[in-house]
Amino acid sequence: MSESGPRTDGGTETGTGTGAAPAPTGRRLGGAAVGRWLFRAGVGVVFAFLLAPIAVVVATSFAETGSLTFPPKGLSLRWYGEFLGSSRWRRAALNSLVAAGGTTVLATVAGTTAALGVSDLGGSREAAVLGLAVLPLLVPGVVLGSSLLVFLGEFDLQQTYMAVVAAHSLWATPLAFSVVRAALSRFDPRLREAALDLGASPFRAFFEVVAPNIRSGLFAAALIAFVVSLQEFIMTLFVSGPDTRTVPVLAWNSLRGSLDPLVSVVSTLLVAAVVVAVAVGAAVAGLERLATDT
Amino acid sequence: MTGVVELDGIRVTYGDVTAVEELSLSVRDGELFCLLGPSGCGKTTTLRAVAGFESPAAGRVVLGGRDVTGLAPYDRGCATVFQDWALFPNKTVAENVAFGLKMAGVPAERRRERAREQLATVEMTDHADDPPGELSGGQKQRVALARSLAVDPEVLLLDEPLSNLDKRLRETMQLEIKEIQERLETPMLYVTHDQEEAFTLADRIGIMNDGELVQVGAPRTVYDDPVDRFVEAFLGSTNFLSGRVVAGTGADTGVGPDAVAVEFPVAGLRTPVPAGDDLAVGDDVTASVRPEVVDLAPAVDGAAASTDGGAASEPDATGHADGRAILAGTVSEVVYRGSNVRHHVAVGDGAELFVERPVTDAPGLAAGDAARLSWDVTDAYHFGPDGARVRP
Repeated sequence: MSESGPRTDGGTETGTGTGAAPAPTGRRLGGAAVGRWLFRAGVGVVFAFLLAPIAVVVATSFAETGSLTFPPKGLSLRWYGEFLGSSRWRRAALNSLVAAGGTTVLATVAGTTAALGVSDLGGSREAAVLGLAVLPLLVPGVVLGSSLLVFLGEFDLQQTYMAVVAAHSLWATPLAFSVVRAALSRFDPRLREAALDLGASPFRAFFEVVAPNIRSGLFAAALIAFVVSLQEFIMTLFVSGPDTRTVPVLAWNSLRGSLDPLVSVVSTLLVAAVVVAVAVGAAVAGLERLATDT
Repeated sequence: MTGVVELDGIRVTYGDVTAVEELSLSVRDGELFCLLGPSGCGKTTTLRAVAGFESPAAGRVVLGGRDVTGLAPYDRGCATVFQDWALFPNKTVAENVAFGLKMAGVPAERRRERAREQLATVEMTDHADDPPGELSGGQKQRVALARSLAVDPEVLLLDEPLSNLDKRLRETMQLEIKEIQERLETPMLYVTHDQEEAFTLADRIGIMNDGELVQVGAPRTVYDDPVDRFVEAFLGSTNFLSGRVVAGTGADTGVGPDAVAVEFPVAGLRTPVPAGDDLAVGDDVTASVRPEVVDLAPAVDGAAASTDGGAASEPDATGHADGRAILAGTVSEVVYRGSNVRHHVAVGDGAELFVERPVTDAPGLAAGDAARLSWDVTDAYHFGPDGARVRP
């Protein structure tokens, strides 16, 4: 795709100009072009800086040797085999999926009901609830993790899936809440009233009319909850046990023992999982737009 | 006889703001009742209180003899046509129409049948399987009507359903709604800010101002017999003249002992107003002279010839002749409005009256021409200091 600057200094670009624009002077064109290239270079540097570590991790996951060095010496799928052969890692992957699934359901349901409830409050009470809702995001994970450990210990729930899901939902719910709220703000409340008016209970009105019209928002909320759970580490470190620890926690544990390319494999798989989730989300959202814009 | 809808002293408040104050009204079986008023007068709030979307702080809402004041919208026997129609975009036209029946647990086969029937009554059968987003405004309007009628409501509530349509379509739809209402005899409570719409549709009109019901009556009654200055101003454009009572009853006003003399400085008039004891000396009085009752003629050398041949005599010291108020002025603007012509006439002191004449009967005056205005004093409406109508 061609980059197009403002009309006045982009006049030399091919074909798209409409009629006789006055020819820009060489100096002005030159200055604008330099600025544009500097800007692009700056953006490029930032992206390189952000993506480089991921590239290193992915590269080292294909190493042939047992040491974590970059660039890797020789290419192989040896460590991927190690990963699949390890019952500890398979268990951790399963745990991650269970936690992410549970978090997705809990956070989406809680976030959606909260968003629906808040929209009826209005005024200062609404503002107060909004502030409270995002509070968990502002509390450091270490604080949340250690207090959760104490709290859940009271009920003998530490190290259970429930503990992990509860911890992840603390972060996922406010995010899901915000996403659903944004979706609801574009939803015409008259539609819900019309459903109630025609005899639908609030429950049926939600499933018949509200949910279908905010489904891309609900989907985005679920996706975000899933990804948050998948990558969460600090709180999980506190509340999970040997049977429930997730991939990031096990990765950290094994890093403390030895630095081998298995960790890179795990990281690569995690990144891939997130990329796939986001790609699926984007595709669904895109299809959605395609379907509704006709 | 009690009505299908009985509102008994309802009050609706938002925080400190009172939207509807002590409002009582009754919609009779089979009638189309229009709630008419300017925006913000509380008419839509009243409608929403009937539908169950607002809970009144006081008073009762009775539908079909059943007190529904505390009931949720889905437990009431009414259906609403919303201003923007609120068709469900995720459902087809037929599914929209069948929605109420689906909620009522009617089997799918029966629902489809009924939706077909309803769509047939509004001539939308061809669009049954379309998504509502593809319909034009008028078509959406028809579907919304069919959807609400499908549940066979005790009363149909309509919240400015035509305000998003252009004028021509609006007039067509008004007649369609009227026709459907007369055929089905479904009572309707219809909210609008458009007085022409109310006059076209309504069996009875309730005029609201500032959260209160000011006047209820048949369209003709309301128009011919406005209870106060607000109603008079709202129902159509008119000329208001400000005056003051200068002589009380008993003084020699020339029209009998019950009249007071009111002086209108702008017009140079001193008019007898039959007021009984309603007005005292010093009271402010407003006269409404509707543009269609004013006679307009070219001024002819001090004397004048009237277009209707009457009242050509010289006015007396109070500005009257033969029971008509007579006024000299200068035409400031002539506006052609299609079927009629509106003349703005300056009458001194920066005041201006306007007069409407059918195009076929226009006096042939142009801007700058001297003119003579006159009207029968009994055609003017007078309002007292509190805005209430002063009745003979």
